[in-house]
Amino acid sequence: MATTMLTTVERLDKPSAYYLGRNKKRKFDRDRDERESKDRREEEPADPLKDATTLYVGNLSFYTTEEQIHELFAKCGEIKRLVMGLDRYQKTPCGFCFVEYYTHQDALDCMKYIGGTKLDERIIRTDLDPGFQEGRQYGRGKSGGQVRDEYRDEYDPGRGGFGRAVEMERIKEEEEYGRGR
Amino acid sequence: MADYERRPRGGRGFNSRKRRYRDDDEYDRRPQRRRYEEPLAVTLRKQILSIAESPVRKVEEDVSNIAKTLAANYFDTDITAGFLHLVVQMTIEQPLKIPFIAAVVLVLNPQKPEFAAEILKSIGHATQKHIEAGNWREVKLFLRFLACIQGLFEGNGVFALLEDLFSRAVDLQTASSEDSLGLELVKIILYTIAYTMASSATGLENDATQLLDKTDIIASTPHILENLVDPFYTGAGDEPSTTQSALELFQKHLQEEAKQAWELSCLPRPWKSVAGSDEEDPLASAQKHPFPTIVVPETLAIGPRSIYPDVYFSVYSDQDIETVPPASDITAFLVRDTLTDTINGLDFNRNATAKFLIEVDCYFAPNTFVRRATPFDKLRDLAGDRPTWKPEDVAVDAAFSQLFQLPAPEHKLVYYHSVLTEACKIAPAAIAPSLGRAIRFLYRSVEKLDLELAHRFLDWFAHHLSNFGFTWKWTEWVGDIDLPDVHPKKSFMSAALDKEIRLSFAQRIKGTLPEPYQALIPEAKAKDTPDFKYADDKTPFSSQGIQISQLIRRKAPDAEIAPLLQEIEQEAAAHNLDPLLASTDAYVTSICYVGSKSLSHVLSCIERCKDRLLSLGPASPAARRQIITSVMGYWTNQPGVGVNIVDKLLNYTILSPASVVEWALIDNVARGTILAKAYAYEMISVTMTKVTKRVRQIVEAMRRPGLPEEQMAMLQDTLERERGDMQRLFGMIEDCLVGVAEGSNDEVMESDDNTGGEEEARLVKRWGGRWMRVFQRRYAVEESWIREELAKPLPVPAEEPEAEEPEAEEQEKDEEVKMEDIEERGEKRVRRENPLVDTNGAMQGLESDGVE
Repeated sequence: MATTMLTTVERLDKPSAYYLGRNKKRKFDRDRDERESKDRREEEPADPLKDATTLYVGNLSFYTTEEQIHELFAKCGEIKRLVMGLDRYQKTPCGFCFVEYYTHQDALDCMKYIGGTKLDERIIRTDLDPGFQEGRQYGRGKSGGQVRDEYRDEYDPGRGGFGRAVEMERIKEEEEYGRGR
Repeated sequence: MADYERRPRGGRGFNSRKRRYRDDDEYDRRPQRRRYEEPLAVTLRKQILSIAESPVRKVEEDVSNIAKTLAANYFDTDITAGFLHLVVQMTIEQPLKIPFIAAVVLVLNPQKPEFAAEILKSIGHATQKHIEAGNWREVKLFLRFLACIQGLFEGNGVFALLEDLFSRAVDLQTASSEDSLGLELVKIILYTIAYTMASSATGLENDATQLLDKTDIIASTPHILENLVDPFYTGAGDEPSTTQSALELFQKHLQEEAKQAWELSCLPRPWKSVAGSDEEDPLASAQKHPFPTIVVPETLAIGPRSIYPDVYFSVYSDQDIETVPPASDITAFLVRDTLTDTINGLDFNRNATAKFLIEVDCYFAPNTFVRRATPFDKLRDLAGDRPTWKPEDVAVDAAFSQLFQLPAPEHKLVYYHSVLTEACKIAPAAIAPSLGRAIRFLYRSVEKLDLELAHRFLDWFAHHLSNFGFTWKWTEWVGDIDLPDVHPKKSFMSAALDKEIRLSFAQRIKGTLPEPYQALIPEAKAKDTPDFKYADDKTPFSSQGIQISQLIRRKAPDAEIAPLLQEIEQEAAAHNLDPLLASTDAYVTSICYVGSKSLSHVLSCIERCKDRLLSLGPASPAARRQIITSVMGYWTNQPGVGVNIVDKLLNYTILSPASVVEWALIDNVARGTILAKAYAYEMISVTMTKVTKRVRQIVEAMRRPGLPEEQMAMLQDTLERERGDMQRLFGMIEDCLVGVAEGSNDEVMESDDNTGGEEEARLVKRWGGRWMRVFQRRYAVEESWIREELAKPLPVPAEEPEAEEPEAEEQEKDEEVKMEDIEERGEKRVRRENPLVDTNGAMQGLESDGVE
């Protein structure tokens, strides 16, 4: 990055992973699906995000409604489109969405002012996104929800309890060894 | 963890921190990372960036160490280039540190005068560039830097430039009484004087006093627009506003300071210990430099931000113990000025902003404030004549001053929300009580606050609580629950709860409220799907209503629905009802009911039904307003959803802005009581924003360089038409409100015979006046923006954009503005909005999973 672009404090409206160097990348590389999304970005040239008006919004509760998202995100500008991420099989919200604004500036402002704040009492994550296209699918889990909800071993009532793969394991164990063991 | 402590290698070396958390790898087989010497340039950069941040380190020592390192490594271009760059950038991004960075340059000068000369040159360039661009905040900050190093200059240094600026200010002010740029220039001059007089330079008293004598006339004359930006509303019978021009007050304070030998006690003087050593003062004997050449152009640009006069606003002004410097103390202005510059300049990292706000005490003279997090009650016990100013209160106050800036702050309101949220996250124990007192002040003043500000308060309050588990001591307002609905306090409470619910859900919010408040959230609010009135067979046309909703649900073609609507119309006509209103009600209510699951659902219903909906407006204005009645009727318990749908219907041009205004301010004005409903304000406000934004986009399109003549002419026509429409709409709003504000509306008096009747009438009149003030201001601001923008010289085509932080305004200019009619534009939006609903009415959405 050119020195002229470097600010004295970090900017919050940069795409999350793309600008981070390799060294830093390792540190943040904690779980698999995060890595996947990074690999995806690495393959893309920087351009798709230059005028991005869409944001990926993550770590939503499964129960958060479009209206709630609208209420918060409209604080950064009129929303052109809001696409809820739905579970492939159950057609219910599975914890993420895309918010599209009319202008790039609104999207950047949203990164700066809303990303990392709370919605429905959960810290939400925003990331610039090249834009939603019909049929686009990433990081699918076996169960139809987000991959991160497959293997999560902490209980998260807002996102369906334990990770589904972990939950399956538990059920299997219970069947084999009896309840409560 | 315990046995980790015993490990021999822990705790030492620069990497120790990292290892502490890896307590499970007793035998870490990863190759040890090679010891890494950080390059000096990096270490130095860190030192400079964090200058003055630590309350335990002596900043004077850091200043002289940095200067020494710089001087000793003058040959290293990495270091020198890095510093040149940092000086410029930190001046803009971290203005609180200007006196400290300037001190580095002061101390550096005796050791390496040639480097000091380079720094001056680069500051001079930056100043010149920003003067030409009209970036007046940046100009002010660079002049502040130059003022702080006044001791380096030959002659009277910065004063010559200030004189130049002053003569431009005089020209501007004589040319027009509405000029505000002249005021801004005077403000720059005054703040520069303050920092110059606190610098190491001496013998400038005469220059300062002479200039102050001259600025007095401009600074002390009340500006025409001052009333426009007063945060308080003054109605008939109110005491006249006590709000004072910040500039006028500051001028007075400086004149006082001149009499007190320029004590300026709050400003830091980090160069002092160096200069004050018993040997010969190295600063005084060091080489002097000529002041950098900075030319002030004959005509000055207003720049990207419109300029309005500044008034001093504090949320802590009425306490029995001072927790912030009062407006009668110059400290209030000096601190506020840099804090607001910090807030507005650092919008790209709210965490950093919040951190600087909390550290405010580090950047001013020691003992300006009490210790951080001193509880309010303890202030009383503090000894005698020392100030009792709490750094937290000063920080929070500065953030609120921006949130409550009229006509509009520099950034989106939500930025200031986020700053307060982060500050509260970093230091909850210190900040939360300060916020509590601010909230209480605002709540007490809610009747007096400008209505737009009252709504900003409302919006912030609900949003803030949503970030902190919706906890608020509601018990302290219990006494206000029984106030009439038109009372501003009651209106605020109801609206705040409603906003909280919109960010959460009814049951959750109910759970945060003490018993007396439970009644404010009726059961009906908790229903996801409000009742469909036609399901009740007592409702007229209930059977048709049910059938229509079923047809809409299964996406039947309009041809199947039409006969039912006709049936309703015939029956209605037979009962002497307006046929079209009756059928529209059934149609729109059904759409709302079928689409009640989410915004996407209702949008998809509207999309399917839009031909019929679009034909209603031209057929009958009353039917068009019936659409709003039906939407708001269906969502009566969740008016926020209704307002959202109305907003989308405007995009589809199914509704017109005029129909929304008429609906709220004529059809449903209800003797003016609707003015106390937050949703009504929101509806009108959002609608007018749409209208004004449209006009702004046209103007911005006209400002694009290299536009062909015929396109320009076309835009000119469009602008004229749209501007006229905008004027008519604002006029219409005013006409509606004038009746309420003056109480000429006969019905107002007719209210029930209870004793509250008269009081209610008074309150309603006041709502009318407060609404009027908001929309008059908004119209004035829009018109002045258009005039200002069109008067600017056209930008030169094919300008290379500079590698700098893009201004929001510039960005907007780049936005593609379609030149079609507003109608076409509306349709365009609609198609792209294409909601994702599949054939079964279930949401299809993005059929997938993780993108994390």
